[in-house]
Formats: sequence, C-alpha cells, structure tokens
Amino acid sequence: MTAISRREALQKLAVGSVVPVAVTAGLTVLPETAHASEVVAPVGALGMLYDTTKCVGCKACVSACARVNDLAPDTRLDGLHQAPLDLNGYTKNIIKLYRPADGSAFSYVKQQCMHCIDPACVSACMFSGLTKDKGTGIISWNGSKCVGCRYCEIACPYSVPKFQWEKFNPKIVKCELCKDRIATGLQPGCTTVCPTGAVIYGKREDLLREAKRRLAANPGKYFENRVFGEEDGGGTQVLYLSHVAFEKIGLPTLGTESIPERLKWQHKLYKYLALPVALYAGMVGVMRGNWKHHITELKHEQEKTGLRPQL
Amino acid sequence: MKRWERGVPVFGVPILTPAFFWMCVLAVIAVVLTLYRTVVGLAKVTAMTDAYAWGIWKSFNVMVLTGLGSGAFAVGIAANIFNRHKLHSVMRVALLTSFLAYSTGLLMLGVDVGRPWNFYWAALPWKWNLHSPLLEVAICISIYTAVALFLENVPPVLEYLFYEKPQTRTWVTKLDSLFERFFPIVMGLAYILPMMHQSSLGALMLLGGNRVHPLWQSSWLPLIYVWAAAYLGYACVSIAVMLSKLAWNRGLDLDVLDELNKIMAGLIIAWTVFRFGDIIYRGVLGTAFQPNFFAVLFWVETALTLGPAIAMLSAERRRSLKVAFLANVFVALGGMIYRFSPTTLAFRPKAAAFYFPSINELLISFGYIALAIAVFMLAVKKLAILPDSNEGWMRMAEYEKKQNPEVQLTGYSAAATAGHD
Repeated sequence: MTAISRREALQKLAVGSVVPVAVTAGLTVLPETAHASEVVAPVGALGMLYDTTKCVGCKACVSACARVNDLAPDTRLDGLHQAPLDLNGYTKNIIKLYRPADGSAFSYVKQQCMHCIDPACVSACMFSGLTKDKGTGIISWNGSKCVGCRYCEIACPYSVPKFQWEKFNPKIVKCELCKDRIATGLQPGCTTVCPTGAVIYGKREDLLREAKRRLAANPGKYFENRVFGEEDGGGTQVLYLSHVAFEKIGLPTLGTESIPERLKWQHKLYKYLALPVALYAGMVGVMRGNWKHHITELKHEQEKTGLRPQL
Repeated sequence: MKRWERGVPVFGVPILTPAFFWMCVLAVIAVVLTLYRTVVGLAKVTAMTDAYAWGIWKSFNVMVLTGLGSGAFAVGIAANIFNRHKLHSVMRVALLTSFLAYSTGLLMLGVDVGRPWNFYWAALPWKWNLHSPLLEVAICISIYTAVALFLENVPPVLEYLFYEKPQTRTWVTKLDSLFERFFPIVMGLAYILPMMHQSSLGALMLLGGNRVHPLWQSSWLPLIYVWAAAYLGYACVSIAVMLSKLAWNRGLDLDVLDELNKIMAGLIIAWTVFRFGDIIYRGVLGTAFQPNFFAVLFWVETALTLGPAIAMLSAERRRSLKVAFLANVFVALGGMIYRFSPTTLAFRPKAAAFYFPSINELLISFGYIALAIAVFMLAVKKLAILPDSNEGWMRMAEYEKKQNPEVQLTGYSAAATAGHD
C-alpha cells in the first residue's frame, strides 16, 4: 500500500463530493433579486388593522389585554401601579408615544405580535414550541415544547416575543390574538375596548381592503400611501396605517423578502442529507487508504524502536 | 530542536500545582452558582435582557470556544485527508482540546436554557423542526461530542490502561485492533459534523436579519463562520503546545509548528479575501469607513488575523518562537472577536439596548473554562497527549521505572509481542 499523494486525494474527493458541493455553491452566487415572498397567507388569515390617525393613546387596550389574558400586573416601575415600560414577560400589548423634540407631528403606536405570514420565530424554534395555525395564521406558544433557548427573541424583527427572566419555570410571552376568545365567537380584548376604532379586528383580506379604501379616500394623509404589512418582511396579518414614518413608530425596513427565506440555501444544502452523506462517503473513501498506510508506518516504527504504536 | 514522534505524558511534576488548584476552585464556584441559577432563575444571575436574549454563555462559551476547539476537525482534515503526515504528532492535543471545549460548551447550553427539562424532544426526531438552525446545531454538536470526539479520545485512555492495569490487556488489545480498523469511519463523522454545525452556528444569525450589522450579516455567513473555526483550531493547537513548552519545558518540533503556521496563514488570507469580496459584492464596504464602533471592530478583527497571517508567510519569522507565539495569540484573539461579533458586538436589536455580563455570569462562564483547563492539566500528566521524541519516551520510561518497576513501557517490538496476541 502506497501513500496517496495530495493530488490524488483531491481527485478522489472531487469524484465523491466536491462536484455536488461546487454545483450547489455555484447556484448560491446567482444574483439575489428582490421578489415577493414565496409563502402566502392562509385563506382564513385573521388579523388586526391599526391606524395611528385614530388612536388617542388611552391605553384601554393595554389593560383589556392584561385582563382577558390573565396576565399578572407588571408593577415593577413603582411597586404599586400596573405600568409596563415595554412589551415584557407580563405584557402582550402596549401603547407608546412618538413625540419629536422639534414639535413636528407626533403619533401613538400600538405594539403586539404582527403574526407574520412567514414567521422567523417559528422557523427558529427547535421543537416547534411556536407554531402558526394553518387556518387562522395565528402564531401561538406551546410550553411543553419550549426549551427556553430564546432564539425567537433573536429572530423576531419586531422584538415581540418576551421571556420571564425571573421565573424558575419561565414562559415565552407574546400576543396570540386572543385565540381562545375568537374560538368562542368573541373579538380580541384590545379591539373590543378601543373607543375610536383605531385598532379593528377581522379577516386579513377584509382589513387590507379597508386599509386601501382609507388610503384612496385620503391621499397624502398616510406615510408612503401604503399599508405596512401588506408585503413587508413577506407580509404580516396585523396591518398598520401611519401618518408618520414607519420607522418612527418602531416598524423596521425589511423589504419584501421574509426573514426565513434567508435560510433557503441552508435547506437546499441539507435536502435529504444527500450532500453531507456524499461528503462523508468521499472523505471516508480517501481516508481508508491513507489510514492503512499510516498504520503500516506505525508498525514499521515499532519494529525499529520497540515502543507500542499510538493511534 | 526535537522531532515529535509520539505522545509522552508529562512526568516528574506533581499533579496538585497552584494553577491546577485555582482552576478547580473556579470550577467549583461555577458549579455552585449553576445550582443557584437553577433555583432562582436567570434574572438574578445574568445581565441578559429581552433585547440581548443571548449572553456570553451561548455567544462566547458555545459560539466562540467551539470555534477555538475546532483543532480536531481542522488539523485532522489536513493530517488524514490531505496527508500532512507531520501533523499526526499534534492530533492528540487537538482531539483533547476540542473534546474539552465542546463538552463544556454543551454544559453551558444546559445552564443557559430556561426550560431544560423539555430537551427530551431531542430524542424524538419526528418532532424536530428541521428549519431551525439551532436544532441542527444542538443535535449535531451533541452527536459530535458524545460519539465522534469521545471515540477519538479513547485510544490514549486504552494505552494508559494497557500499561497501568495489566489485567485489562486482553480486551484493551481487542479494542485497539477495532479502533485500528474502524477509525476512518469515526474520523469521517468527526469531519462532516463540524462542517455542518460550525456553519449552522453562522446560519443562526441569518435569522437575525438587519439587526446584525451589514459588515457581518451575509448569505455567506455560514461559510465565513466555519472557515474562521478552521484557522482558530490551528491557533489553539499551536498555543497549547507552545504553552506546554513554557509550563513543563517540553521540546518543540519546529517543522510541525512551521506546518501548522503555514496552513493557518493560508486559511486566514483566503478567508480575508473571501470576506472582503463578499462585503464589496454586497456594496457595504463604505460602512467600514464610517467613524463608529462597528468600523473599528471590523478593522481590529482584520488586523489581528491578517497581520499575523502575513507575518507567518516568512519562513524566518515562523522559526522565531516568540514571533510565532504572538502571531498565534493575535490570530486567536482576532478570530474569537469575529466569532463573537454577529451575536453580540455587531448585533443591534434596538437603539437603546446594552449588555455587559454580570459578575455571576462571568464566574460561571470562566468556571467552565477553568474546568476544561484543569482536566487538560490532569490529562497530559496521566495520558500520552503532548508530543515528544522517542528519546523523550525513553527518559519517561526510565523515570517511571524507579517509581513503579512493574510497569513496562518499552520493549514492545512486534516480534516480542506476537506471542501475547
């Protein structure tokens, strides 16, 4: 048995595995074009439409949300009042105010889960503790499958999922569109109590139609004359109309591609585990020859020195 | 200069040294704090927040240190697939450092997650979410550590049993011949699995989207990430053998170090070219020249890795132990900072978010590193891990003979042992 030269090793590897790698790697350099997301909303997708021009910042939705979801009052601000500063382990819905120092237009904003059409949190979740309902498109959390890794918090572009850091048995807390109320024919807590109709509940397609009606009826009133969530980040089921820039009310610039689409090449490389298995077989094939030679050398060395060979 | 021919245990020095003692103390502190964390939850022990939901336990102990512990994979591929014969002499160092980095990393994962009791789902493959890069990482790292790295580290232990516990010789010899036959199958696993999970560690942050600064966020992040692990593995092995020279006055084989440094330099230069190519292709090179923290961070990473790599192109500098040692330390630092950036330094979840680990968080993190170092210090004194010459083995055998005349460490020519088999 003779040693295989490096060139031969490379040739062998090429036959076994480098070819598929090169082909797949070659495909990945195709230009990335901006295109609408491949994932579409479920037919029965439910959602909400929030309109900054109608919100008066009364926070009735915040307390209604906490009440109907049985959330413990977050009194950490002063030890007495329920006054959450942000979405957190006890707050699934919050109202904030954007008010620039220069006195230009201010705006309230309501924050809760956007119920993305192609959600990053669901893609991230190891054992599907977060799932998107096939019928309603509502994203909900299942405690029996969550290991508390918090990858959903890293992945969500809207910083929505929150963790109960101080608990022995911590939960991931986020808006689930009051799915239990919806199941009994009720509306979500927040839309039920909103006095001005700033946030309304319905089927996503109806809400989108209503939003576009408002845009058409009020040209120039809304930022960019468009609905946030129609296509942003692959589309969301909670839609926003705003009279100030979307980024000022905390909505990020995402483009039309969904976050999980960034993983599409990963999925292709791992398809049926074919590529890893081919690479494995190629490497073992090359190493078998090399290893036999290595063992022969070790035995030869042993003859000379009288020392036990070491693998 | 010596020629490294075989692993030889460190002999003639006590096991319980001050350094070893303090490493053990740090490890015990970490274990106690881990129990405390289990009872009181994460908020009291760590500085993690909903914005920085991943702290140093994941982003440093797992994502950075398994990169540093990639010697078994990176050096192994050169030695066993590309036939760089000289590198066989440092494989045991690489295998042990990797095993320790990975197993303590896995421990840290267990400490970090909030609901570890739900990990039993890992045993039910049909419940896996195959779209999750973290699932790939968790499963792949566990199999790699528990099967591939574990098995690769068994031969030195068998060798120890052979000499020290003669009653085990029959089955040790049998196991040895099994390993001899089937090692390539194990090594194949030991190379394919890191390619998968080290790139998936990079893929984790693909889901971070725009919240990762554009100098780091890229569709090629998985490849750039595993590539960094490869050269970090080389730096780690070189540093380990060079520190062993300082600690126990072991001889150095300059030819082997030369080979390690050459390959490391090549990997870094190609990595830097690829990284810059990607940054230029995506049109974000301009962000590297803005007067902000991210630009400085980027150039620090580049300087700490590319600078030493260029220095290591010169044969003269590679032969200077001081220069070579410093070069490897800088590369390790630069590569570690790079691996730390996408999750932490270059991760911008929102404008006003800040994270710096708490004292307890740091103590737990360092404690598990100290545990790995303590096991390494113990292992190299008991097992034939660190490379030396055959002459070094003879000296050790002579020394051991005085301590324990029953242990026979030499005189095993094939003819002499034929009768035993």
